[in-house]
Amino acid sequence: MADKPTIYIICSDRHRNGKTLLARVLIDYLMLEGKDPFVIDANVPEGPLRAAFPGRTALVDFDQIPGQMKLFDTIMGSIGRDYVVDIPASQTEKFFTAIKELDVLQEATRRGFQFAILFIVDKELASYDNAEDLRVALAPHAVIYVRNNYVGSFAPPSSRELTIDIPPLERDIFPYIEDRYFSYRAFLLGDEAAIPPKLVNKLKAFLLAMVTGLQDIEPELSLRRLRNL
Amino acid sequence: MKPTLILVGADKGGVGKTTVSRALLDFFARKNVLTRSFDTENPRGTLKRFYPASAEIIDLTNVAHQMRLLDTMETANVPVTIVDLKAGNLSYALETFDRIGVLEAARAGVFNLGLFHVIGPSIASLDEIAEIANYLQGVSYVVARNFINETNFFEWDAATQRKYFAAIPKAQEIAVPKLNEMAYEQVDLAGVTFKDFIDNHASDGSPGKFSFVLRGYVRKWCSEIDEQFAHVKLAQDILTGGRAPQAAYQA
Repeated sequence: MADKPTIYIICSDRHRNGKTLLARVLIDYLMLEGKDPFVIDANVPEGPLRAAFPGRTALVDFDQIPGQMKLFDTIMGSIGRDYVVDIPASQTEKFFTAIKELDVLQEATRRGFQFAILFIVDKELASYDNAEDLRVALAPHAVIYVRNNYVGSFAPPSSRELTIDIPPLERDIFPYIEDRYFSYRAFLLGDEAAIPPKLVNKLKAFLLAMVTGLQDIEPELSLRRLRNL
Repeated sequence: MKPTLILVGADKGGVGKTTVSRALLDFFARKNVLTRSFDTENPRGTLKRFYPASAEIIDLTNVAHQMRLLDTMETANVPVTIVDLKAGNLSYALETFDRIGVLEAARAGVFNLGLFHVIGPSIASLDEIAEIANYLQGVSYVVARNFINETNFFEWDAATQRKYFAAIPKAQEIAVPKLNEMAYEQVDLAGVTFKDFIDNHASDGSPGKFSFVLRGYVRKWCSEIDEQFAHVKLAQDILTGGRAPQAAYQA
């Protein structure tokens, strides 16, 4: 069965817990898989994803109607490809309210998309509660919990549902991977020049674990499709 | 079933009269109730722009035009007639209707008569209510406070409000919900009905190129205003054919 075009939504109710890191690894992973994802970066004005993927990223201000149009009208007007949408914590609530009010899930599904909503669950109970609320509100669409082990997460490590783990990573690596010109894709393809030799293996182990988690998304979505037929 | 004549008016321009008329026409269309519409803004009607095929432009001072509106009430066999009164024309229109016996006919039960009075954000608007109170016996009177373009609407002082409404025992109140400016402008520019905008149909019937996001906001706004209209007794009577809701279900 051919894969359905997927809209990946990366979100959390808390700041600074690895959203952009997850998005960058996901985008590079998708490209390594031969996909051609278009990226919508709602982190204004900085636009970290647009800086990293300038040729395939639109920067939108979701607080404004033109930004909402740029986001949803782009997706609805150009179907058949994958999208990665990165929503800042400050806009998460507004984003999901709009999704509901504008019937986005239903309309996009009708146009052949499937959704993977990656919610980074932070270390407080409240964050887990928000994730659970979202899961109920968006069912049967997939809300996949992400545990960032560097920050800590209230989400239980293993459950019936697919959970993606971001492994802890040594602080020394951060300056290298946060560089906008660093490419996980190039690194995975063997270009290790950007990383000091003593950190190469650590980053490799980290990415291997990340990619293993991301590889579980597509089968999970297929299973859900079968279940909901 | 008795036909219903709904007047939509205000004593000021730019308070959203035509928007309310359009919303009413759309509301009845969604409920499968046939409507006729008249625009008294001659020679160039605003309502006519959105309903080029159905809205008729009339001049209320012209006897032939009065006949076109009123003498057809029973024969047209259309349950609802909506008249968008020209800005600043409300007191004058009511006076005219009174003079030519329309209000009396409504009181005698020949047809139902409703008035949607669209109110803008100033105390002068409340003075209008006092001014027209004399004409309102036998009329279903609805005050429509228009929030559509207003970010912060005036707060009505409760005491003042009571004083004005004391003259009108059965006034109902609705709020026209806010619609974001960009969506409102795009519908306006397209010159289509709210329904066609939601369904993505251009004015000539061809598929439209309206924004998915703006269509969504207009749909949400329409469902909000539907809820407001659904509370209005006059609208309930039209939808149930004047029978009690239970009787309507049995039929």
